[in-house]
Amino acid sequence: MTALHTLLLLLVALAIPGVINRTRACLAGRRGIRFLQHLYDLRLRLRKGAVYSTATTALFRTTPSVYLGAAIVASLMIPIGDLRPAISFDGDFVCMAYLLALGRLALVLAAMDTGSAFEGMGASREALYGALVEPALMLVAGTLALATGCTSLARIFDPATLPGARYTIVLLLTTYILLKIVFTESGRVPVDDPRTHLELTMIHEVMCLDYCGVDLAMIQLAGWLKTAIFSLLAADTLAATFCLRWWAAAPLAVALTGLSVGVVESTQARNKLVRNTIFILTIVALAALAFFTGYLLQLNIGLA
Amino acid sequence: MFFLYILFALAIITAAICVAPPKAKAWTALAFIGGVSALLAVEAIGVLAGGETARLWLFESLALGCDTGSLDPLSALFVLLIAVGAVASTIYSHGYLRHARDGKSPAHLSLHYLSLTVMSLAMLGVVTSDGGYSFLFFWELMTVASFLLILFDAERREVRRAALAYLIMMHIGFVLLVIGFVRLQVATGSASFAALPSCFAADGFLPLLLVFLAGFGMKAGMFPMHVWLPEAHPAAPSHVSALMSGVMIKTGVYGILRVIAALDTPEALRTTGLIVLAAGIATGLWGVILAAAQNDVKRLLAYSSIENIGVVLIGLGIALLGKAAGNPAMTLCGIAGALLHTLNHSFFKSLLFFGAGNVLTQTGTTSLDALGGTAKNMPLTALLFLIGTAAICALPPLNGFVSELLIYSGMFKGIASGSDTLAAAAGLTALALIGGIVVLAFAKLYGTVFLGAPRSHEAAEATEVDNFRIVAMALPLAGILFVGLFPAQAVGFVVRAAGCFLRTPVAAAQWLLTPTLTAVARTAWLLIAVVAVLAALRRRALRKRTIAQGPTWGCGFTAPNIRMQYTGESFSEGLQSIMPSLTQQNGEGDAVGKSEIFPTSHGFDIRHKDRIDNLFSAWWVELLHQINQRVMRLRTGKINHYILFALAFLILIFILSIFNLL
Repeated sequence: MTALHTLLLLLVALAIPGVINRTRACLAGRRGIRFLQHLYDLRLRLRKGAVYSTATTALFRTTPSVYLGAAIVASLMIPIGDLRPAISFDGDFVCMAYLLALGRLALVLAAMDTGSAFEGMGASREALYGALVEPALMLVAGTLALATGCTSLARIFDPATLPGARYTIVLLLTTYILLKIVFTESGRVPVDDPRTHLELTMIHEVMCLDYCGVDLAMIQLAGWLKTAIFSLLAADTLAATFCLRWWAAAPLAVALTGLSVGVVESTQARNKLVRNTIFILTIVALAALAFFTGYLLQLNIGLA
Repeated sequence: MFFLYILFALAIITAAICVAPPKAKAWTALAFIGGVSALLAVEAIGVLAGGETARLWLFESLALGCDTGSLDPLSALFVLLIAVGAVASTIYSHGYLRHARDGKSPAHLSLHYLSLTVMSLAMLGVVTSDGGYSFLFFWELMTVASFLLILFDAERREVRRAALAYLIMMHIGFVLLVIGFVRLQVATGSASFAALPSCFAADGFLPLLLVFLAGFGMKAGMFPMHVWLPEAHPAAPSHVSALMSGVMIKTGVYGILRVIAALDTPEALRTTGLIVLAAGIATGLWGVILAAAQNDVKRLLAYSSIENIGVVLIGLGIALLGKAAGNPAMTLCGIAGALLHTLNHSFFKSLLFFGAGNVLTQTGTTSLDALGGTAKNMPLTALLFLIGTAAICALPPLNGFVSELLIYSGMFKGIASGSDTLAAAAGLTALALIGGIVVLAFAKLYGTVFLGAPRSHEAAEATEVDNFRIVAMALPLAGILFVGLFPAQAVGFVVRAAGCFLRTPVAAAQWLLTPTLTAVARTAWLLIAVVAVLAALRRRALRKRTIAQGPTWGCGFTAPNIRMQYTGESFSEGLQSIMPSLTQQNGEGDAVGKSEIFPTSHGFDIRHKDRIDNLFSAWWVELLHQINQRVMRLRTGKINHYILFALAFLILIFILSIFNLL
């Protein structure tokens, strides 16, 4: 079971970037790059040497390991449909969020370590957006706990404790919120643009400007894992409304994120930076709304 | 007799410290502090390991009634916390005051070390007395001693200002406590904490509770009574900041705990829970947002202390709500999280203030805009500070995470079981936001102080500090690692201390938490292992390849310089722009105009003032000032006048008693 879980997790994480690229190419009418091109790029990076800035300290060299390590451990807590994750305990959702925060702090500090104005800019924005997303994440966890009466991810997404049909609307809204969180956490349009690091779009990409080779590969891998974590959560929540099985949840995660990110990136422009905070605060407001709706539905038990 | 013994002990300590040569004063103080701490700590560990409550003193007096001091599990936890903090601070002071020893007179140093000793011992007295007048006596002793400690650099005007503001605010709090205890004695005949339940049951709990909450909240730095903290900490020497922020404000938490443990009825518990939760949310958010705005290392740390008190209060609020709703799991998680966070905060905040002290002595400044790149010259300080930073951000695998996880679990349990859903959700949102902004604030602090390129000559020339200070920092570090990596054992102690608050037996409570904590420990070790394996793999991959060095990539800009780095102010600018109303920005000098294409040299100084501070420069302060001047006329300095006043007072009492008004 654990082996299947890990394998599926890896497949989902590696497939999403390919699906996004294919979607974008189709919508633009191009032939586009190969489906596995990002893996070839990864292999290329893993073979390279490294160049380090003289301004940096040992922290800069340790960060990729911490960033990737935190993402790996966090991803081991995410159930895929009815497949139980390797790690599960009361409040594991909090642990996952804080592990990702550990990775974020490491990357932000590494960016500050280079002493570059551009990377400082990216670091400051990443820290702010990360801080604002946190309440939305916890409210989502609260909503799920409210709907199921359980406090660990494995139990929340257990087919035995499925939330009743009356919570469907809440679960759909939660899926939507989680998808929006995917956009912010993996630095996609309209919050950030992964294709460029120029001044107007300086968030995630610019923080890794001074990384190359193996280090950059590790950071990218961690980014894919992070995307997979939130996509799987969104897919699990959606699957809980009709069929909570792993063979439904895993493809759903790939399709949900791959298609939505691909479509949004082909049709929308990137936000002005000031709009980003509004975008994220909207997610928080939606999360509060979902929670309150769930609360009202729960009160209804006594009335009916 | 009791107070006489204490005076006698004080005289011995004074004599010993005054006689010792300047270099040995720290060791003399350490001998007293360490000796008493060790004796009490051994006893405390015994009590926490399941021993009986130990009676420490008992005296009867005609005026004050019976007063006792004892070591129950809750006291024992705080004794351990104070012992570690006080011993570490004293060791640290030996290295920290090395430069000051030449400038200050021996008498000045004696006074400082005497105050340090008295304050540490008084704090131990506070947490071991069972309330009543010995509690107030130790409380006041602690306040006065800490006031003298802040005044170490009394030549500087801002230090005198901060110390005076501290003294005044603490005495407002003290008066509230006196009112509380006198009321208690009038109602029940005893002023000890043990009499609280009957008093609460007899005549309404709310007024007395609010008086105590305000009195203890003043010491703890509860919003809006926190304004002394960010003034006092930058003014005090760093080991004193560490002792005050890491340890002393916890005595306020201790007081609050004693009071709320006496509540019994569901309505009282629920009302208090909502009050404490609301106070915690306000304190935490206010503290963390202001912390992110600060551009001075010690001010930032001071605001972060306020934020952590907020987190502790949120935990307590959740525990109270859980107890009111009869939800033992929620109660347990809340109280255990709050107590553990109190302990944790004393560890990492001491460590961080010591680190700030190292930066201050080695570079001569604590302003973020004059620092940078010190990690290269002060690697040990930088590493220890980094661990403190990760711990205070509540990141796994360190201690802050364990306590915040417990508080979160309490809220989730409340939500999942449907008791106080909305209050728990409010706490959840606030705690998540606090957690996010703390990461921003401390990334800013660590990034601008230790990383990047040095922004001033002094920062570039800094050297590593002496070993005494590193040893002093290792003490809280051990605590951080122990709680982080062996959470089940640490929480075992804490749950026993929380026993007085819980209705379930301690063994059952421990059994409830053990599975989660074992899993947390396993995750922490797994994280360490995964990161180590990845680092090793990376090292192996890079072993035979070319590793080049070069300047930081400037995106094609060919003449980047050090002043172009992101500063602390610019780092938190985004947060400031969405939360503008909490601080008042005072800018001095002239900023660069938008029309200037080739700007000439400009000077601009920006400060973020706490809006609550304005309360203390409002019209009523001026009024008080005027009244004070009138009253001062009574102070003639002539003994015959004073005797007349005494006579007038007696006559007043006499007349009042005739008309039966007393």
